[in-house]
This record gives sequence, C-alpha cells and structure tokens, in this order.
Amino acid sequence: MQHQLLRVQGLCAGTEDKPILHNIDLTVGAGETHVLMGPNGAGKSTLGHVIMGDPAYMVSTGSIEFDGTDVTDEAADKRSLAGIFLSYQAPVEVPGVPLYSYLRTITQKRPELKMTARKFRARVGEMAEQLDMDSSFLTRELNVGFSGGEKKKIEMLQLLLLKPKLAIMDETDSGLDVDALSVVSRGIEAYRAECDGALLVITHNTRILERLTVDRTHVMVQGRLVAEGPASLIDDIDAHGFEQFEHPQANGSGE
Amino acid sequence: MSVNDERIALERVNTPPAQTWNYLRTNDITLTVPAHSRKGDVFFALPRLFEQVECGMGPKVTEWVESQAADAHYVEVRAGVQRAEPIIAEDDTGVMVRAGAEATIVIGASPTEEALDTSASLVRIIAERDTTVHVLEFVAENADQHVHSVGITAGANARIDVRQFFLAAGTTAAGLTVALDGDHARLDLSCRYLGREHDVLDINHVVRQRGRQTRANVRESGVLDGHARKALRATIDLIHGSSGSEGAELESVLVLSDDVTNKTMPVILCDEDDVAGNHGASIGSIAPEQIQYLRDRGLSLEEAEALYQRALFDEALIAAPTAGIRHTVLARATAVLGADVANDLVAGLGLDEAKEV
Ligand SMILES: Nc1ncnc2c1ncn2[C@@H]1O[C@H](COP(=O)(O)OP(=O)(O)OP(=O)(O)O)[C@@H](O)[C@H]1O
Ligand SMILES: [Mg+2]
Repeated sequence: MQHQLLRVQGLCAGTEDKPILHNIDLTVGAGETHVLMGPNGAGKSTLGHVIMGDPAYMVSTGSIEFDGTDVTDEAADKRSLAGIFLSYQAPVEVPGVPLYSYLRTITQKRPELKMTARKFRARVGEMAEQLDMDSSFLTRELNVGFSGGEKKKIEMLQLLLLKPKLAIMDETDSGLDVDALSVVSRGIEAYRAECDGALLVITHNTRILERLTVDRTHVMVQGRLVAEGPASLIDDIDAHGFEQFEHPQANGSGE
Repeated sequence: MSVNDERIALERVNTPPAQTWNYLRTNDITLTVPAHSRKGDVFFALPRLFEQVECGMGPKVTEWVESQAADAHYVEVRAGVQRAEPIIAEDDTGVMVRAGAEATIVIGASPTEEALDTSASLVRIIAERDTTVHVLEFVAENADQHVHSVGITAGANARIDVRQFFLAAGTTAAGLTVALDGDHARLDLSCRYLGREHDVLDINHVVRQRGRQTRANVRESGVLDGHARKALRATIDLIHGSSGSEGAELESVLVLSDDVTNKTMPVILCDEDDVAGNHGASIGSIAPEQIQYLRDRGLSLEEAEALYQRALFDEALIAAPTAGIRHTVLARATAVLGADVANDLVAGLGLDEAKEV
C-alpha cells in the first residue's frame, strides 16, 4: 500500500442551509490516480472545493487529512502550499490582475519553486508552448475574456508550474475540442511524469482517461459515495449509466 | 524648498464643465503651491496657437505653470513623419503634430526648479488631421505634490491614445481635456491609479466631442487603500453638431479599506440628438469567489490584495518608455511593495537585461 496522501473520513458538509455531502470516506495514496464520476448535481465539485478548503462550505462532521496532517480547519492557502491543487470546473475571472504578475506571485510563494525571473519567464514560455497557447496571454488579465478552453489551459499551466502532490481535476476535459483535449491529456501525463503527483479526476468522459493508468474509481450519487472499484468500473458506467447505483443497496457494486 | 519661498493658493481648480451641488464637495481642489516672482526675466513662450488648447486643470493652473517654468518647450513633428523617439514633455511644453504624422509624447513629473515639494507639468498638444498620437503620463514620485494639466486638440481622423499612471505618494492633481474637433477623431483613454496611506488623488477628465462621428472610450481603474481620498470627475461633452458621435466612460475601483474616501462624478452632457453617451461604474472590494480562487493557489488575503497593487506597477513598468521613468516607477514600487518584489518586477519583465535601468 502506498503512503496515504489524502484521507477523508466520515465527512459531512454543505452550505449554511443545505447539506450536500454525506458521510464521505475517500483515501488517495501518493502518486495514485483516482477517478470520481457521478450524475450532474451529485456533489463532485463540492467535494473538490471542500477538500481545497472553500469557506463557502461548512464541514459539520468528519475530517480531512493531507500528507499526515489534519487540515480540516486549515485555510485554503495553507492547503495549497501543503500541496493540494484544485483545477476549477469554471475558473474565476480576476480583473485587475495580469496573468504574468499572478503566476509569478504564486510561484514565488513556494520556497521549493523559487527561481530567478529569467528562468521563470523561460519556464512559462516552454509550458505555454507545450499547451499550445499564445504567449501574448501573459499580459492579459487572469481568466478575463478567455474562452472556456483557454481557461482550462490556464489551469493546466498552473498545475504544471506548481507541481502539487495532489491535483483535483474538476472536469478539466469538458468543453475542449479534440486538439485541446489531447494537449490537456499530455499535460496531465507530463505532471505525472515530472513529479509523480496524485490525481483525483472528476469527469463525465472516458477520453481523458485513455492515457492514464487509473488505480481506483469512485461513484457519487446524491452526495454519497455509493460505489468504488477498479478502472473497469468506468467502462461499466459508460455502458450502463448511473441508474444501477441509484439504490442504496447498490453500494459496493463493481467490486 | 527654502523657507523664504512664497506660496500661493490655486483655489478651486481642476473643475468639470458642469458643477454638482457643492455639498458633495467633488467639484474642485484647492492647492497651495510655491510662487516665484520672475518679473523682468524674458522667457520663450509657446506660439499663440496653444492658447486655444483647453487644459484639464483650467486657466489658473496654466497661468501658474507659465509663470513658474523657465523657458517653454516647443516641439514640432513635421507632416507625415513617423517619429520613433518619444518626445519628453516637461514643465511647460507644446507639441505640434502636423497632418499625417505619428508621435509618442511622454509626460513624467519633473520637480519644478526651486521647489522640490511640488512638481508641475503643463502639456498642450495639437494633433492635426490624420495624426496618430500616443500619450504616456506617469506620476509616480515619492514626493509631496504633483500638478499635471494636459490639453489635446484632435483634428479630423486623428487617433489619440492616452495612458495615465497615477501611482505617486502625496497629492496628485491631474486634469486632462481632449477636444475631438475634427470629424472621425478618436480618443482611447486609460487611467490607472493607486491611492494609499494619506494620499490624495484629484482627477478631472473632460472630452469635448465636436466633430461628427467621433469616438471616445474612457477607462479609469484603480486601487484605494488606507486613508486615501480620491475624487474623479469625468465628463463627456457631446456638443451640438457632433452627430454620429459616441462617448463611453467606465470606472472600476477596488476599495481595500473602510477608511478610504472614494468620490466619482461622471457627467454626460448632450446637446445633440444623434449621439450615444454611456457611463458605467463598479466600485467594490474583491469578490469572494475571486479571493477564494487566489487563496486556493496559495495566497493569503493580504497577499491577494497586494497582488492588485503589484499589477499596477507591472503594467506601468511595461509601458514606461524611458530609463528615467522606469527608475521613478521602480523607486515607488520599492516604497509600496518592498525591495524584493520591486526587484522581481524588473527582472521579470526582462528589464534587468536592458542596460540603461
Ligand atoms: N454554494 C452553493 N450554494 C448552494 N447550493 C450549492 C452550492 N454549491 C453546490 N450546491 C448544490 O449542491 C449540489 C451539488 O453540486 P456540485 O456542483 O457539487 O455537483 P457536481 O456533482 O459537481 O455536478 P456537475 O456534474 O453538474 O458538475 C447541487 O444541487 C448544487 O446546486
Ligand atoms: Mg461539478
């Protein structure tokens, strides 16, 4: 068994007036690749944001342990520096902050990534090329006016730059054209290759998984993890949908 | 400055064309400035033509700068010439851009000769027909008081773009009037400002749209922190006869402290039917989802806020066309952001490789 990087135990969370996640148990080992699937509105993104530490959600019970430390009460920036990264399903536009200033600032915050500005520029340039992005985007405001696909690439760029221990990819593949999809797939591969980072991939499509070796698949329905199984569970879902899980008894199917 | 220097008050300057109820107290600013008698000295004055150029801070400031500055500077860009080298406008400067020419004019506060606590610039630009004129204005000193009055008249088809960076400490009073006199003349104005601690910013923007089918696009955006006080007056004046013209003004302010005073007075004057005038404003703190996005990537709340200030300096440094202005912006960045970040700004922009910094 791999060293356990993320351990979520008995987690219940939601907004102030609405419980969304119920009794979540989820463990991801260092360097592992996990897939999280489930119908729209199941709570997948919420789980991502709760693991990241978004104060919009409250944890009523349970705990989140990361890299041996209980981070349940830690602020998001602390978790980020500890090595958790959440790629947003819908990246936020931040007017008034040029992408370059932003990327440089988030990199310089991490002692292990500090580098001279010249090296940094070269590195960002390389990554932009790798992701098939025009480098003129660097002087534009963060995510402002970028197309959906371009925003996802900017998330990928940050993933490659920050090299987190755990990357939660929330539908990074959705809304991408064929070329962009293969660019992003290669980016994820590069991330795996470069720093052996763990992945929790939230997706509705199997395409993105083709180039990845999936260790574990989880299914979420109505805020609960109702099934867990090997990579083959994905094909099962692909063929039969989520209906099979939509009864409480179905727990554990696919094992 | 020496104790012997006289000081005078420039009362109620930097006024907009249409005044509001006085209790809002956003109509003007009164400045105390040094005054030296130059009786008997003979100066070079600008050609009379420049007297017709309306300047943003009004005639009192024009008179004062004229009386204080040593010789006026006159620069002419000949017809059809594309002048690559920027024109540095100091003290009292008049620039004549002849038909079809292109020029870049840089306005950076330079301290008035004998009074280092106040810097002043009076810049008048006549852009004839079919010209392209780029104006870059920087106020970024760590000094006390800055007075910038600028006036531009634009002939038919003239393309004027103005980028202002008001990042200085102390009091910045700046007025800009652009008269789009010729048909199809166009103005793009971007104004970026930073106010913090006890800084005072008093900005007056006036666009006179006289020609037909003129376009004005005015964008102000800034960050206010500490006890900063800002007043912005922005007027788009669609004058009778300017049919088919469009003017738009948009301000967005980021307010980082409860002690900030932020006043904005947008006015659209309209004496013509077939025109469009637009004004928009957004005043606020950083939206929670924006803060969260930045925190998710490792920045504390304070660091997220500082990023907005860093961004202003990044932009100003990219735009700075001369070593002198880069130097000034950098010194200010060091005071605001600390030496580490300031050095990083320079290095990051590749300016460290440019020898002249
Ligand atoms: N901040 C919030 N305020 C109110 N309701 C919320 C909030 N965040 C999530 N929800 C609700 O919680 C449920 C789960 O949403 P979530 O976005 O986590 O679903 P999802 O599994 O990611 O769906 P999709 O596949 O469509 O992205 C939805 O009903 C959603 O409306
Ligand atoms: Mg989602």
